[in-house]
Amino acid sequence: MAGISFRNVTKRFGKTLAVNNASFDIQPGEFFCFFGPPLSGKSTVLKLILGLETPDEGEILIGGKPVNRISPADRNVAMVFQNLALFPHMTAGENVRFPLVERKVPEDKIRARVEAVAAKLHISHLLHKPPAQLSGGERQRVAIARALVRDPVAYLMDDPISALDARLREETRVELKRIQRDLGQTLIYVTHDQEEAMSIADRMAIMEEGEIRQIGSPTAIYDTPVSRYVARLLGAPMMNILPAVRGKALEMADGTISLPLEAVPDGAAHVGVRPEDLKVEPWNDARPGRPATVYEIEPLGGYTVVTVDTGAEKLKALMRGQPDIRLESAVALSCNPIKAHFFNQAGEAVSL
Amino acid sequence: MTAIHLENLVKRFGAFTALKTMDLEIRDGEFMALLGPSGCGKSTTMNMIAGMEQPSGGRITFDGRDMNGVAMGRRGVGFVFQNYAIFTHMNVYDNLAYGLKVRGTSASETDRRVKAMADFLQLTPMLDKPSAKLSVNILQRLAIGRSAIVEPAIFLLDEPLSNVDAAFRAVMRTELKHLQRQFRQTMVYVTHDQLEAMTMADRIAVMDHGVLQQVGTPLEVYNDPVNLFVADFIGSPGMNLLKGTLADSDRGLVIDLGALGVTAPLDPALSAVARTNGVREVVYGFRPERVVLATAGQGLAMPVTFIERIGARTVVHFGDGEQRVKAVFDNDIAVQTGETVHVAVEPRFARMFDAATGVAIREV
Amino acid sequence: MSMLATEEKLSVTGDRSTPETRIEDGGRRLGLMLTLPAQLLVLFIAVFPLLMQLYISLTDWSPLDGIGWWQAYELWNNFANYTDLAADSRFWDALGRTALVMAICVPAEFLLGLGLAILFMDNFVGKRLFYSVMLIPMMVVPAVAGYMFFMLFQSGGPVNDIVSTLIGRPFALAWLSSPGTALIAVMIADIWQWTPLMFLILLAGLVGVPEDQMRAATLLGASWSQRFRTIVMPKMKTIIIIALSIRVIENFKIFDTLYIMTGGGPGVATETISVYIYKVTQQDLIWGYVAAIALVILIALSILVSLAISRMNAAKEA
Repeated sequence: MAGISFRNVTKRFGKTLAVNNASFDIQPGEFFCFFGPPLSGKSTVLKLILGLETPDEGEILIGGKPVNRISPADRNVAMVFQNLALFPHMTAGENVRFPLVERKVPEDKIRARVEAVAAKLHISHLLHKPPAQLSGGERQRVAIARALVRDPVAYLMDDPISALDARLREETRVELKRIQRDLGQTLIYVTHDQEEAMSIADRMAIMEEGEIRQIGSPTAIYDTPVSRYVARLLGAPMMNILPAVRGKALEMADGTISLPLEAVPDGAAHVGVRPEDLKVEPWNDARPGRPATVYEIEPLGGYTVVTVDTGAEKLKALMRGQPDIRLESAVALSCNPIKAHFFNQAGEAVSL
Repeated sequence: MTAIHLENLVKRFGAFTALKTMDLEIRDGEFMALLGPSGCGKSTTMNMIAGMEQPSGGRITFDGRDMNGVAMGRRGVGFVFQNYAIFTHMNVYDNLAYGLKVRGTSASETDRRVKAMADFLQLTPMLDKPSAKLSVNILQRLAIGRSAIVEPAIFLLDEPLSNVDAAFRAVMRTELKHLQRQFRQTMVYVTHDQLEAMTMADRIAVMDHGVLQQVGTPLEVYNDPVNLFVADFIGSPGMNLLKGTLADSDRGLVIDLGALGVTAPLDPALSAVARTNGVREVVYGFRPERVVLATAGQGLAMPVTFIERIGARTVVHFGDGEQRVKAVFDNDIAVQTGETVHVAVEPRFARMFDAATGVAIREV
Repeated sequence: MSMLATEEKLSVTGDRSTPETRIEDGGRRLGLMLTLPAQLLVLFIAVFPLLMQLYISLTDWSPLDGIGWWQAYELWNNFANYTDLAADSRFWDALGRTALVMAICVPAEFLLGLGLAILFMDNFVGKRLFYSVMLIPMMVVPAVAGYMFFMLFQSGGPVNDIVSTLIGRPFALAWLSSPGTALIAVMIADIWQWTPLMFLILLAGLVGVPEDQMRAATLLGASWSQRFRTIVMPKMKTIIIIALSIRVIENFKIFDTLYIMTGGGPGVATETISVYIYKVTQQDLIWGYVAAIALVILIALSILVSLAISRMNAAKEA
């Protein structure tokens, strides 16, 4: 178990800046997630940690020691590829010991390690069974045990559960997180699924074009994004971004929403409103401002996504439960200024 | 604008029965989702509607006309393939124009309609581009446009969103639904994603292992699943399902959940059904969104084992093993991992299933 | 759909592809140096015979002259071979005949092969058997095929017997010894032997036409012939050009079957370029002249093939 740090690391491929001046500290025992669109540099960061690529500038530290000149084999960092599926022709125990046998670890050490991991994951009594005789949950635990049976200083995982179906993904990510917490291992995780990242990461780094835009806990990034870009990456439906006009109040979306000027920081050019913070109510003529029309209603069961057309744009609101709202009806929009996010012309967050 | 009627439809591939006697009426102008895991028979059903597969038994009628023996090109069906099946040797314009050209539509009329469709789907800037190099997001719109331009009476879509990325999928869900509402075409939409079915369909046909499980509006299948399969398949997270035994108490009929204690008294109507039914071993079901925190002494006492905060909502996991419960709360919920809290569900939101058959016990 | 444009830019999907490690310029130079010897050898093997041919074609050299070919400059003839060739009517007749055979055989083989390939796209009883039988002609050694057709087209041979039966009176045409029919017989033999190759290549092409695109076209209301014209043919453009190129080049060199059937006769009635060259080389032994002929043909064929390839590349671009 060790921390991993980057100090101003830059990696170029020809003229492309794959990673630009990246600095971060991953704490020992932390579940750390890299999240960003394709080609944002997250896979290159993994390769730099593994030692498959060497940085052009800057320093990489593992457990406090510089490793720039240390070969991948000597870094003792384990890469777990997309393999959270079991070999059906082996028993659970053979599956778990497989990575160690493959690395020609002595038999007594294999046995000790497999026993230790199996005990932690509560699967000791299942080791003699073939995967076909295990329940779905047991199979996941065995698969995770196999992924974690080595004893490296840190694990790296690149989208390990994307091949599973939606329901199993929900279960597996929770299981993975709980086991990582029990084992106390450093785990670095790359995913393209924002829900997965928010669910399991202790902290996460948001990447764009080779640069780290924000590092923090998922909750902190979700609640206080540093830019429009970061704000739109997390959350489903995405945050509504509205151009704002200063008048007697801050007017948005053709005057369908307004905020009192005293609640608005200087330089705010756009206002971000999370769908769950956009309040949709039936219109009544006594209200100031203008109504919006209900464009589409999408019931999710426990929640309902309502798309409203303000004339200037379409906004999404996430409402709890199964509200009684009619298509094409006139509605009033509002937002608590405390919940609003403000961004300047350059897209950076500004606050009072 | 055509009603589709499937009557006793059966499809066998050799010894394997892909579809067991399916009866389904898809109404004129309706958006019907065929939903189920892979291998449930949904694609087979759709291929038979399109005429790409022939039924082994039963029949399909469009507005009462028997489609048996009618070639797929003559059914007036628009089909959007999962991989879009774009004509890769043509540019965007020629793909859009294809259906009109083969029908012998005049050049000026074709041009007018292609441009209108391109404008509508925001494809105008790439009309001259070869279609082989376009991104999936564009291919998807092109595939829809190519089918829509000939104004088919029935529109069939085979998992059209499974290849596009999450953000774009959310946008397309809303737009597809809106498109269908404008055109009022009968739309059949095959998907394995319950979210897509819930958000877009007027009604959902839930299928499993070649058997139609339930047909209803999204909220009907969500609120009142007919069996355990539907209860678990619909919703994210799925319905909480706990095994228990019916028992009488001084407050009415309750479910004894063993170590978890007993539930609140059941809804009187549901109790009456359960009593006449005579079943004792049941599964108690409730939606994670319906869970509320109760004061001590009420509801079920359960340890918090895990908390996931996912954007706007917080999913709290309770208990372990067979007796696990998930609850979805707003982010201001104040619970901590390790503490034991009391959770409750209003009786009107509680559901009950026969443990032996998995069938819902409910008022008919 | 005003949201589309902005949403796309923000889309987040799986990140599997990373910029590949570029081969640096130094590495590329090393690679070139390592492969240079092999490249030179290939160049030598390809270019040397050509240069030698060009050299000899400018002289009157013949192996009977008693001097080595490298001393052929002593017999320099001021391009006489090329001027002779321009005036050689036997050469031009042979070339014309070769072109005629090509113009009839290659399209016939193509159309027959395509028709058969289309039939084989459907399932029918005995498909496997027919398939094997179809390929037999291609496997027959051309010389053997030559003897086969030589026998078939004798005046008392099976072809005339069948025609007699069909028309109900004796028919005894001496196919191979009448100038009008010998070429027809030769072409029939060529078509018999090479249609299977066309069939095979075109079948591979047809199988490669994506089925879902065909279905999509059907569902859009396209008839069979419309699908064939708008989907199948464009998709098969490349493979058709390849198939035609192979047959044009091969057919231009038509020799063995023909030579065994007719020997180029009667007279010069079936004398194609290859037969002509063979006769000039083996019987007249004027090698300088032969070299000139060969070069002219090579250049002509190269132009033809490069035209075909540029068409193919244009098809790919589109």
